[in-house]
Amino acid sequence: MKKLLLSLFGLDEASLQDPANIVGIVLTFAVWALVLALFLVLLFKKRFQIHRWGNKVWQRTKLLIQTGWFLLTNSFMIGWVKGTIYQGSLKYVCVPGMNCYSCPGAFGACPIGALQAVLDEFDVSKSWFDPASGTYIQAPLYWFAFYVIGFLMIVGALCGRLICGLLCPFGWIQDLLYKIPVKKLKLPRDEKRINGMKHPGTVRFFLGVDKYLRYAKYAFLVVMVIFLPLVVKANPWFCKYVCPSGMLLGGIPLMSRNEGLRDAAGQLTLLKLSIMTFTVVLSMFLYRPFCRYICPLGAIYSLFNPVSLYKYGIDDSKCNRCKGCYACANACPMGVDPVKTPNSPECIRCGTCNATCPQKAIHAGFKMKTVEGNAIRTHKHK
Amino acid sequence: MQKQSVFTRYIIPLLLLLVGVGFVVYGVTDGEAGAVLRKAVAICMECIGIG
Repeated sequence: MKKLLLSLFGLDEASLQDPANIVGIVLTFAVWALVLALFLVLLFKKRFQIHRWGNKVWQRTKLLIQTGWFLLTNSFMIGWVKGTIYQGSLKYVCVPGMNCYSCPGAFGACPIGALQAVLDEFDVSKSWFDPASGTYIQAPLYWFAFYVIGFLMIVGALCGRLICGLLCPFGWIQDLLYKIPVKKLKLPRDEKRINGMKHPGTVRFFLGVDKYLRYAKYAFLVVMVIFLPLVVKANPWFCKYVCPSGMLLGGIPLMSRNEGLRDAAGQLTLLKLSIMTFTVVLSMFLYRPFCRYICPLGAIYSLFNPVSLYKYGIDDSKCNRCKGCYACANACPMGVDPVKTPNSPECIRCGTCNATCPQKAIHAGFKMKTVEGNAIRTHKHK
Repeated sequence: MQKQSVFTRYIIPLLLLLVGVGFVVYGVTDGEAGAVLRKAVAICMECIGIG
C-alpha cells in the first residue's frame, strides 16, 4: 500500500520525512474526496437534461464540472506547497485539455506540449555538423507523433470540442474572467438586430474580422506546433513564444515559490507575461479569445466536431427559426448559429444554446432521434 | 428533411476511434510515451518563460 502510494505520487521512502510532502498527500486526498462527492451529486441528484434545467442552472452546473475537473487534474498538492512539479508515472498520459505540465499541481501531460516534445526529439546517429552553415543538423527521431495524435483522435472522435467547453482548465479560467462585470464585446448574429443597429456596416466588418481571425489557430497549429519543432527543433515553439496557459498555470506559481527561477527570469519572461496579461484582460471583454483565435488544441478538436460520436442536433419539427427566433444564435458565446450549423468547428459545446432554446429543439448526445421519436438534424441546414 | 445515414453518424467516428487506438498502441511501442514522460517530469523552462 505504502509502495503504491509512493509510486503514485512519484516519491521515494526518504521524502516521507519531509512534513510538507505528508501535508501535500493529505491535501491531495481531500481534493479527490471533494471532487468525487461533487461528481456523485451531479450524477445522481440531477439527471443530465440540460434543456430542461434552463440556462441559469446549467451555467452553474457547468462551472462546477469545470472546477471539479481542474481540481482533479491539478491536485498534486505537494507541488503547490513546495513549488515543484509532479514527477510520477501518471505523466505518461496526456490530459484532454490545455493544461501545462509544468503547473505545480498537474498530474498529466499537456497534449500540445507533448506533441511538440515528440516532434522535437532527434536521432543522434543521423545528425551531423554542417561546417558550411556552422550548425548542427538534427534529424527527427519521430516524423509523426502517433501516441499523442492517437490520443487526440480518440478524444476527438468521442466528443469533439466538448473538451473545450467542459474540461479545459484554461477555458475554465477564461470563463471565470468573462464573469467579471464589464462591458462585453458581443456581436449579434441575427440580421434583423444588425440592421436595427446604429452602424450595421461596422458590425458586419467586425463579424468578418472575427470570422477570418479564427483561422489563425490553424496557422499556430501547423507552424508553431508541428512545422517548427519538427524541422528547426531546439524548442517547443508554441509553448515558448505564445502559450499564456504555461505562464499562468506554470510560470507564476513556480516562480512565486522558487527563488532560483525568479533569478533566471529575463526578456522571454517579460514577453510571455505580456501575452498572458493581454489574454487575461481581453478575456474579461471577449468570450474565450484564446480558444477562438489561438488554441492549437481547439483547432485539432474542431476538425472532429462534425464527425464525433457526441453531437449537437436540431429537432426541426420544434424549431422556430422560420418564425424569426434567434434565441440560440444570440445566446451562443462563441458566435455560432446552432440551427444553421449544429456541429460547427467553432462550437465548444458549452450547452448554452441547448439550455436557452425556448422550444427545447436543440439536443446533445449520441442518438439520432429525440425521446418523442423525432429525427435530429446534425448536418448543416440547406 | 435530409435523413442522416448511420454510416456518417456512427461508422466514421468509430473508425477514427479505432485508428486512434492503433496509433496510441504503436506510439507506446515506438517509445513516444517515454519522450512525453521525459519532457513532462522536468520543469519546462520554455513553457514558464525562462527559456
